[in-house]
Amino acid sequence: MQLDFVNRELTIKLVYYGPALSGKTTNLQALHKAAAPGASGRLMTLETKDDRTLFFDLLPLTFRNQGSLAVRLKVFTVPGQVIHASTRRLVVQGADGIAFIADSRAAETQHNTESFMDLRENLKQHGLTLRQMPLIIQFNKRDMPDVRSDAEIADLASKGREPVYLAVATRGVGVVESMIGLLHLTWSALDAEHDLNKKFGFDPKAFLAQVAQKLGNPKPIPEILQACVGGALDVLRPEAG
Amino acid sequence: MLPPAAAKTFDELTLGHGVSLEDLIDRDALGEMVKSFYDLFGVPLRIFSEEGKLLGDAADQIPLYTFLNTVKAGRNVLAEVASKVKNLALGEDGMASYPCATGEHYRVAAIQYDGKRIGRMILGPFVTPAQVETPAALLALDPALDAARLHELFRAMPRAEDDSVVKLSRHLGRTLDLLLFSGHRALLTSNMHLASVRESFRELSDKNDKLQTAFDRLKELDRLKSNFLATVSHELRTPLTSIIGYSEMLVEGLAGEMTGEQREFVQTIRDKGEQLLQLIKGLLDLSKLESGTMSLRKSQTEILGLLRDVSQTMAPTARKKEVELQVDVENGLPLIWADAERLRQVFLNLTENAIKFTPAQGKVTLSARLTAIDAARPEDAGGVVILSARRTAIEFRVADTGIGIPESERGRVFDAFYQVDSSSTREVGGTGLGLSIVRRLIDGHDGTVRIIDNTPKGAVFIVTIPVRRATIG
Repeated sequence: MQLDFVNRELTIKLVYYGPALSGKTTNLQALHKAAAPGASGRLMTLETKDDRTLFFDLLPLTFRNQGSLAVRLKVFTVPGQVIHASTRRLVVQGADGIAFIADSRAAETQHNTESFMDLRENLKQHGLTLRQMPLIIQFNKRDMPDVRSDAEIADLASKGREPVYLAVATRGVGVVESMIGLLHLTWSALDAEHDLNKKFGFDPKAFLAQVAQKLGNPKPIPEILQACVGGALDVLRPEAG
Repeated sequence: MLPPAAAKTFDELTLGHGVSLEDLIDRDALGEMVKSFYDLFGVPLRIFSEEGKLLGDAADQIPLYTFLNTVKAGRNVLAEVASKVKNLALGEDGMASYPCATGEHYRVAAIQYDGKRIGRMILGPFVTPAQVETPAALLALDPALDAARLHELFRAMPRAEDDSVVKLSRHLGRTLDLLLFSGHRALLTSNMHLASVRESFRELSDKNDKLQTAFDRLKELDRLKSNFLATVSHELRTPLTSIIGYSEMLVEGLAGEMTGEQREFVQTIRDKGEQLLQLIKGLLDLSKLESGTMSLRKSQTEILGLLRDVSQTMAPTARKKEVELQVDVENGLPLIWADAERLRQVFLNLTENAIKFTPAQGKVTLSARLTAIDAARPEDAGGVVILSARRTAIEFRVADTGIGIPESERGRVFDAFYQVDSSSTREVGGTGLGLSIVRRLIDGHDGTVRIIDNTPKGAVFIVTIPVRRATIG
């Protein structure tokens, strides 16, 4: 997070993490497509080869006129391929919130696990733990054959802390919901740490509603937040300390 | 020269607080673009960074301004205009217009990137086409200025409609945005590339350091182990020598006659003591071999005699186990350069092992024949043409018809204390020291040892030792 007091502007860094080809870039493309003109800048894709991310993608989203504070979201993806470990570590540094994009296909389960361990290890290198990090998990590619069943995911999600979303990023399904869930968690964590709502007279609910609106989802926020299975969206504040 | 952004962090470059116009765009290229813009539309154009640094300028000297500069009042007016325009406060839309008292106009527009103002463009001076009359303020500036000349120069001022200039500035803004985006992308790519390489290097260096530390520690432990073995074997041997010596004296009746049973007991003590002594000697050998303090006393050694001696020594053991022991040595073998005593130890050990693992009615064969080996070692396999000088060697084989050694174990049986069957219920005893000593002794003779299957069953240990000492050059 970067706070520019002079211009009353807050920049939040969100990172989309996950195994190779799980649909991180597709999520950003879907957000970019859904965003109202003016809310989103150009989607920057760095050095791709055969549609594979080499460094990262970056989507800037800006939401102004909210209370007295403008909020800029910088949404990054990491390169999923195993060999880009050092790039992932660089990109994830300073993240305020993380969306873990998992591949729903049963055959990809092992890759999801490895990537998640890699995330944990990279956070550790920056002196962070998964517990401290606002995190949502998205099971993408729900439209593919041989995916893990809804019941299986719901069952596992009910045992975990992180809100879990089901998505088909290629069709934009579940993409905005995942983003709103992540933003909700991230804002709560940042507010707990920096007391932003009070300092800037900021209304997080109105802010989330504005973001959802600008991303083309006019549903009421509680309804959007309910799109997740399992996890604990209401446990907003990470443990003190 | 590196752009100023080269030293900026990833966060500064991506979170948008550290990127400046100069970081993202090449100054020369910007100058060319501004010039081409001026050539096309005829409206003077200058581009400043957010800090007020001039980055691009395309305006021929305006003849009217040159003329005004000749008088003090004119100079003052122009200086005031320049300063006001440069610091003009821009509206919400990032635009502002400045009409000069002397009739010409300026249009100022913010250069924005990623929602932030990072510079401004100044278009002008220009005069609207409708403005035909020379403004009174211009004519009244200084009586010294020739009015006819002023009329003429004012008519020659660059002409444009204000809303056209607004459109021009928007178009220029969009063009610049594209250039800035590409510049930002290229900057991030090169920056990320460097950072990734640096990060990978750091990671590898860390791992190397850890490996080196672990390696050093292992080496130290290995040295301690060898020292420990040497010390312990030595310390064990001393009292054991007394035990054996005194039991021998008892058996020989030096302390008085013993009953048959007493003699038998003492004999057992002596035998077991002897066995223990051999074991300790083995340990001592191993530690000497490992620490490199064992010296081999090599001389010209005769092979047939050596193997016959081994066979004779092992004959009683073989007879007891009802295993046939046979020696088969090719005629006319040359002498080899070896430590006869150590070589004898090698074959005693291998033969003893072979008998141990061969069931009754089995057969153990000791053989030797002449062969040749490549002088080049496998590790310097290059230059075979040059290095393929062959060395004459003797190939010894100790073949048995026993239980054999599985392929997967063959590399490990030469490790100290290794047992193929390490279960406590194994049928055949041993410390696992023998073969590790064998291998080190063979190494000491510049030789090799390997294991192959015997048909139909059993194992063959093949020891190859060069006939002559290795010569260098």
